[in-house]
Amino acid sequence: MLSLALPTSTAFVREHLRAPLTLVLLIAIPAFFVLIFASVLGEFSKALGGTLASRSAAAISAGWATAFLCGALAFFQVSSSRGADRRLAAAGLGPLRVAVSRILAALAIGLTVSAVAFLTLWLRSGIAHPLHAFAAIFAFAATYIGIGAVIGAFVKGQLEGSLLVVLVFSVDAFSDPQMTSNGLIARTPTQDAANLLVAAGGGQGSPGGDWLGAGAIALAALAVALAAFWTSARTRG
Amino acid sequence: MAERARQGIDDGTPATVTVGRSPAGERPVVLAVRGVEKSFHRGIWPLRREIEVLKGATLEVRADELVGLVGENGSGKSTLMQIIVGLLKRNGGEIDRPARLGYCPQLPMVWEKLTVDEHFELYGRAYGIEEGERERAVVGLLEELQFAKYRGYRIEELSGGTRQKLNLALSLMHDPELLLLDEPYSGFDWETYLRFWEMSERRRDQGMGILIVSHLLAERDRLDRMYELCEGRICRC
Repeated sequence: MLSLALPTSTAFVREHLRAPLTLVLLIAIPAFFVLIFASVLGEFSKALGGTLASRSAAAISAGWATAFLCGALAFFQVSSSRGADRRLAAAGLGPLRVAVSRILAALAIGLTVSAVAFLTLWLRSGIAHPLHAFAAIFAFAATYIGIGAVIGAFVKGQLEGSLLVVLVFSVDAFSDPQMTSNGLIARTPTQDAANLLVAAGGGQGSPGGDWLGAGAIALAALAVALAAFWTSARTRG
Repeated sequence: MAERARQGIDDGTPATVTVGRSPAGERPVVLAVRGVEKSFHRGIWPLRREIEVLKGATLEVRADELVGLVGENGSGKSTLMQIIVGLLKRNGGEIDRPARLGYCPQLPMVWEKLTVDEHFELYGRAYGIEEGERERAVVGLLEELQFAKYRGYRIEELSGGTRQKLNLALSLMHDPELLLLDEPYSGFDWETYLRFWEMSERRRDQGMGILIVSHLLAERDRLDRMYELCEGRICRC
C-alpha cells in the first residue's frame, strides 16, 4: 500500500506547493494572524465578554491560521483534482490508495503549515511549552483537514465550498468559550486544542481532558478526511 | 456471433456474448455490454427529478476491431464509456471487459501543476508497469505523437492539442487489450489527426479492440463497425 501511496502523495504535495500564491500565503497568513490579528482579537474578545488575554490571543491565532490554511488546502485538494484522482483510481491505483496518498499529502502540508505558524508564534512572543504548543497547533491542522476534505467531497462548486469552509471557520473561531460569554454553541471542534494552545503559550499545565479531547477530535477528523478522499476517488453513483 | 449481437439489439434482449475466444475461432470479444441502464438524479427534494440516460444499451467489441459509437449530444455516449471504465455506477445490465483497459476521456483529467513526465510516472505505477518498460513505452508514444520536447512541462503550460496528446498517451502506455476513446482528437491539428488514425489502425491490426466515440461523418469509413445510441438504446449497428 505505502510503496504506491508514498510516491503518489509526493506528487500531490508538489502539485500544491507549485502554486506561488499558496507558498506566499503559507508565510503570510500565520504572520498576519499572529502579528496583527491577535491584538485585534484580544479587544474583540473583551467586547464580546470573553476572557482572552493578549498573550493567549497570539497563541490561539497561530492555531486559527493553521486551521484556516489547512481547511482551505484540503478543500481544494478534493475539489480541484476530483476528475484526475478518479481516473487514476480507475486506471488501477484504486480509490483507497488514492485516498491514502491524499491524506499523506494533506498531513505533510498540515505539518508544514503548523511549523510555520509555530515559528511565527515563537518569534513573536515566545512559548513556555513548545512541544505542547506544536501538538495543539497540529490538532488544529488535523481537525480542519477533515472539515475541508468533507466539504470538498460533497460540495462541487469551488465558490460555494470555499465559502462554507470560511463559514465553519468563523463559527468555530468566534464561538470559542474564551472568545465570548454567550454560550450559544456548547462545543466547538477546536475548543480543546485552543485550551491546550493558550495553556502552552502561557506556561500553564494542561488538563488530561483537553489532551484526550483534542487527540480524539484530530483522529476522528483524519478518519473523516480519509473517507472523504476515498468517496471522491471512487466510482460515482 | 455478430449476428447474435444484432438480434439482441433489435429485439431488446441482451445478446449472450462471452469475453474470450469463441469456439469457432473467431476474434475474441474484448468488451461485452448487455442491457446497461443508467439514470441520474438532479435537484433537491421536493424538486428532485430522475433523468434516464441509458435504457438498456447493448454492444460488443472484438479484438482487432475499430468500432465507432455515435449519437446526438446527450444521447449517453460518454456516460456509457464512463460506466465501462468504472468511473460511474450503472443501475442495471452487465459488462465484461478486460482488466487491461485504456481510457482517453473527452476532457483531459489531469493535474495542472504536474509535468508530463510526472503523469507518466503516476500512471505507470497505477498500471503496474516496471520503470524500464514504462520508459520504453513513453519514448515510443512521445515519438509517435511528436511531443517529446514537452516532457518537463507542466500541464498548465501546454496547448489544448498537446494536453490531448498526453491524454491519449496515458491511455496507451500499458498497451491495453481494449481502448476506449471519447472524442480523442479535439484540439489536434490536421497532421496529428491523421497520425492519430494511423496509430489507431496500427494498434487495431496488432489485436487491440478499440471503441471510439465519433461525430464526424468522414470518419465512418475508417471504422470496422458502428453503433448508434438513440434515446438510451443502441438503435443501429
